[in-house]
Amino acid sequence: MQIQLKCSCGEGNCLEWAIIELQGVVEVQPGFQDQLQDLEIGRLCRPSQDTYTFTVGYHELTGSKVPLKKPLVVLKKIKHLRMEESSDVNSSSSSEVELEVIGIIRHRILFKTRPKALISRPPPVVKERNHAEGSVASG
Amino acid sequence: MEQQLMCPKGGAGSVLNLNPGSALSIAYHTKYGPHDDILLLELDEKLLPDVTNQRVFLRGQPDEDAVLCTQSKTYAIKFVGTSNSVCLVPPSNQSEMGKELQDRAGNGCDHEAATVIKLASGSMEIVEVAPRLDKLKSLLSQAPYGIEEASEMEVEGMERDKTGLYKWDDLVNEVQASDGELRSGLQALSAVEIDGYWRIIDDSYMDMILRMLLHNSVLMDWPLNALDQDEVLGVLESDGFPRKVAHHCLSMYGDKSEEDGSKCIWKLDEKRVCVHFARNILREGKMKMEKFIEEWSRRIPPGMEASLQMLDGEVLTEKLGIDTWVRGFSVSSLPSTPSERFSILFRERPRWDWKDLQPYIRDLSIPGLSLEGLLLKYTRRVQPSPDAEPVFTAR
Repeated sequence: MQIQLKCSCGEGNCLEWAIIELQGVVEVQPGFQDQLQDLEIGRLCRPSQDTYTFTVGYHELTGSKVPLKKPLVVLKKIKHLRMEESSDVNSSSSSEVELEVIGIIRHRILFKTRPKALISRPPPVVKERNHAEGSVASG
Repeated sequence: MEQQLMCPKGGAGSVLNLNPGSALSIAYHTKYGPHDDILLLELDEKLLPDVTNQRVFLRGQPDEDAVLCTQSKTYAIKFVGTSNSVCLVPPSNQSEMGKELQDRAGNGCDHEAATVIKLASGSMEIVEVAPRLDKLKSLLSQAPYGIEEASEMEVEGMERDKTGLYKWDDLVNEVQASDGELRSGLQALSAVEIDGYWRIIDDSYMDMILRMLLHNSVLMDWPLNALDQDEVLGVLESDGFPRKVAHHCLSMYGDKSEEDGSKCIWKLDEKRVCVHFARNILREGKMKMEKFIEEWSRRIPPGMEASLQMLDGEVLTEKLGIDTWVRGFSVSSLPSTPSERFSILFRERPRWDWKDLQPYIRDLSIPGLSLEGLLLKYTRRVQPSPDAEPVFTAR
């Protein structure tokens, strides 16, 4: 079988995606673990030309914007099935799968330092909750 | 643009173009989730035009590791995982929904947020590899075109059995190679397209056509270095050979030497014709060298001269007592993956001189690995004394 990489972007016009990359994982408070959608993760700041900070809860990460050595193409696997798509990713049969280019990634904001604890209590934590509750209610 | 300034949409753009001194809220997307259908593929910048022009394919059967093919090259795909949290931020139009919700939640336009759709567990990387053409050989060997089929009458409405026959579209679905590599692979196998199907011609049938062609050339006084295509094909056709197959015989054993509008002239290639007869003689098994040479010279058409050098990569010779024996061992019958190739070679002979070995490995082409590198990887080089010829054994 063969799958053609479909692309409707046109030459050099693929929509650019971004990567925010940090070491380890972002721990979510237990109460929100099943409902991450719309929850704020943190605030991305660019205090100076070359520095970026990412504040998550009481922690601040410092990093920078780095170009990727080679671009990453973002692909979306599209399955043409009449029924609901099956749960097993590998069970789909040949001609029904398509791969579409939906974007390209050329840069990432990389945080490779250990997080620094913030002394003052930042407001996002409160906001995080409000925001999440709001979305749950409206959803 | 104006509107975007007034009411920023967020998304990847706002992350990448964040102004110094500014801040941006990063949130999980409304549709945040595992999104196993979103994949990252690392590509060289120079391959991007192939992607945007839709000239890139993934090829492979479900039980094979998929390869990525451009028009001319084949790449293996490997997944490289990461333990970092790689947050993917799509461009703004895809986070429209999230924005709407944020607006409804009363955050208004001034709340600029970029949203994370998924965490990527890694990305796919590609490495150039040799095309997997051995499968092409085995597919086309299932049903070679032979005399039975050629002499079969075309009966109207009768469906011929198509099992083991492959059209171009079938081949690209089956064989893990780029279009360009597949075409050269077909050429290397001397395959020909007959009624839309790519076929190899049965050896004995090809032998029959070639001998008939040579026979005719004697009868008609055709010079072997200037065969008139129309004349040759016309006569072979009246002898009962399909025109297409007769033409293929010319192209297998000859080269077009000139073509001026109406006339097409072919020159038979001495080496290819001679090798054909040598292979044929040795098909039955090994022979004493003298007997082989005698038989070989007898079969070769007048005007052509055989020499043993033509048989590099075609025959092996060995000394048994005072006699030298020769035996057919054709490089074209060997697998093209180096590990399989070397294992067969060393099963054939535990020790190889360089001059014997070279014809059996010179066609191996592995991206990023020279012949020297292949030897290092798969053989042990033994040199009894500094001025002795090196001998290669299995590693």
